[in-house]
Amino acid sequence: MNRFIVVDTSLCTGCRNCELACSIRNTGTFNPRQSRIQVLKNEAKNLILPVVCLQCEEPLCEEACPSGAIRVNEAGVLTVKEEICIGCQNCVTACVYGGIEIDPVTKKAIKCDLCGGNPACVDACDYGAISVVERDEEGLQTRLVGVKGAARQMGVEMEDA
Amino acid sequence: MTFPYKGYAGYYLDIDLEKGKVHKKEMEKEWARLYMGGTGVAARILWERTGPETDPLSPDNVVLVGTGPLTGVMFSPSGRMMFASKSPLTGVWAESHAGGFFGPEIKYAGFDFIIFNGRSPKPVYLLLQDGRAELKDAAHLWGRETDVTTDMIREENRDPSMETAVIGPAGENQVPYGCVIVDYYRAAGRTGLGAVLGSKNVKGIAASGALPLEAHDMDKYLEANEEEMAKLHDPLWTESIASLRKYGTTDLVAMINEIGRLPTKNHWTGFFDEADDIGPEIIANKYRVGQEACHGCAIGCKYIYRVKEGKFRGGPAGGPEYETLMAFGSNCLNSDVESIFYLGQRCDLLGMDTISCGKTIGFAMELWEKGIIDESDTGGIDLSWGNVESMSELVELIARKEGVGALLAKGTRKAAEEIGGEAWKYAVHVKGLEASGQDPRAHQSVGLTYATNVRGADHLRSLSSLEELNYPEVIINRFGEEKAEAIGQIMSPKYKGEVIKDIEDLYAVVDSAVICKYGTMWPPVFYFDTFANVIPPLTGMKEWADMNYVRDVGARISHLRRAYNHRLGITREDETLPRRLLKEPMPTGPAKGGLPDLDYMLDEYYELRGSDKETGYPKKSRLEKLDLGFVADDLEKRKMLARQ
Repeated sequence: MNRFIVVDTSLCTGCRNCELACSIRNTGTFNPRQSRIQVLKNEAKNLILPVVCLQCEEPLCEEACPSGAIRVNEAGVLTVKEEICIGCQNCVTACVYGGIEIDPVTKKAIKCDLCGGNPACVDACDYGAISVVERDEEGLQTRLVGVKGAARQMGVEMEDA
Repeated sequence: MTFPYKGYAGYYLDIDLEKGKVHKKEMEKEWARLYMGGTGVAARILWERTGPETDPLSPDNVVLVGTGPLTGVMFSPSGRMMFASKSPLTGVWAESHAGGFFGPEIKYAGFDFIIFNGRSPKPVYLLLQDGRAELKDAAHLWGRETDVTTDMIREENRDPSMETAVIGPAGENQVPYGCVIVDYYRAAGRTGLGAVLGSKNVKGIAASGALPLEAHDMDKYLEANEEEMAKLHDPLWTESIASLRKYGTTDLVAMINEIGRLPTKNHWTGFFDEADDIGPEIIANKYRVGQEACHGCAIGCKYIYRVKEGKFRGGPAGGPEYETLMAFGSNCLNSDVESIFYLGQRCDLLGMDTISCGKTIGFAMELWEKGIIDESDTGGIDLSWGNVESMSELVELIARKEGVGALLAKGTRKAAEEIGGEAWKYAVHVKGLEASGQDPRAHQSVGLTYATNVRGADHLRSLSSLEELNYPEVIINRFGEEKAEAIGQIMSPKYKGEVIKDIEDLYAVVDSAVICKYGTMWPPVFYFDTFANVIPPLTGMKEWADMNYVRDVGARISHLRRAYNHRLGITREDETLPRRLLKEPMPTGPAKGGLPDLDYMLDEYYELRGSDKETGYPKKSRLEKLDLGFVADDLEKRKMLARQ
């Protein structure tokens, strides 16, 4: 778990091309609802909020999974083993950030696995809002800035990284 | 499912509103192959289901909701969709497009097209979810403004990501330029499609879905898409795209004023002294709080504004586009930009076209100035130029068809007829559609665009930016070195018939795909070859790889829409310009003295279309060559064909 995706929400225009790219990579079809990165919107508040797995240091989803389907893989990335997942949604409830969701087609949990190293969403973002960073102090700070908007929306108080 | 082509959802809905029945049908192969989608398929269906005898606001009229194969797949910009019908404002061909996320969502919900037939006995809205469709009661939504309607639909379906297209009070009241509002602040503005939905008791459509769209050959499609994106990223266009990202279409206020083409004082002139007050810099620096993009769009021209204090306090909301800044600004000699934000937003919430509304108010202001109307006609409202209080009052009255609003709700052509006398001289429209923000006295080819546009005085069916913004490389590529110099001259009518015919056919394909005019009109990146590149790997329709096949599709759609209008009585006599734009030389500004040579351009245009120069009617052989034999047969019976 040495790298993760961060989003600079100030650059995001909410175009959802990242969702398209993610769905193509993971399902071979165009279907944003099957994307592992999701852009939440509230037009009345001018809110555009891209949400993707933070690869937490202490993953609540992993802890909540009754079947052990959420594990750190060989590359050090937290992933869902689809064949083990029973679709109980405990992980979705556990994640305070919204970084894991149920695939509407397979009914199993899905989350970002960094595409094995080169995330499709990063290339697809024409506004340069998405990047992959190392888990060092700078990376953690960038991640913190990226999730502040979401935290504000949910009324969550955060400590500094 | 036996519909073989990918990229499409594969189904359309044929809705009988009278009986409240929703019929899910498989897409027709022929529609995709010969017309692609969007405006092309709409033309095919409207030709069959409506005609001269159709009263636009009666149950006999039909409303089409359309997408194309590129809607919702990865292609920038792929967020658009369209509506089509017979217009209550003009009585002829009506279509209007909108961006946002609604188009893709219709397809993820499982449908390519929706056809509304008849009239519902009570207010309804159409709900699309994962391949299912049903008409839902909308009694509680009737009378609501468009934002509240969308909020309520999302809430009652417990789906905050549901996308909508809804009408407001103006559409319900059948104001002939009532429009459809998509995703809060994107409008299918023109030609009164909201009024037609209102006449059918249809409050709107809501869509949400997780059905995947496939590609015939995904790897090849992504490769083709990448090639097209590389064209968009060519350094040639860096400046245009940077401008669109920073200013959106508001930059056009400055660019267009500079060439003296910014409609000012009810189109009296093309130069506005106070353009800076309603222009790009003040908006970007003082009011812009965010940038947005439609689905999958790499251009991202939409901006969000906020007015923090004062009587026009408002937002955050989608900011007014160039056309709205022109219609409520320069056109009414109004330089109070905060009032324009307000008026634009009121129109969005009431569901009313800002262009026709602003232009009709400007027309009334000129009649007031000339003494043709006075306080006894307006119910005491002072219509002096730039009076923003009066403009605000008029917008509400028009939407409710009350007082003088009942007269102005009819649009400039009918209002002028009713007022009588000299009023017609100040009604700036073609075929009944109020002119958008261009002027042929400063840009010759706009004259031909306005005159031949099937929906009236509007730029979106064939505006050429090639000579307007000077793209010599593109002109040489498309029309050859020999003609390039004349084409590049904005005030030369030479070869403009060829240019406008070419662009009309191109936009016919663009509007069938359905993609945006940004990337096609400005900057002029995508051309017929784009479709030859991406459509075959996406859909599996191999014949589309031939650029001449793509061109023929464009010509087929153009001819079919033109024939639709001929059948309603449109001839060369109607393909003209309002007196002001044809006969009054531009009085001030950089284009001073300018007038369009319309007849010269029209002759060339008809020649190239193979049409009769006296009537504009098409040749039988041309129609048959384009697989439009059924059109030729119909027009032959009506004696509406050119002599061979």
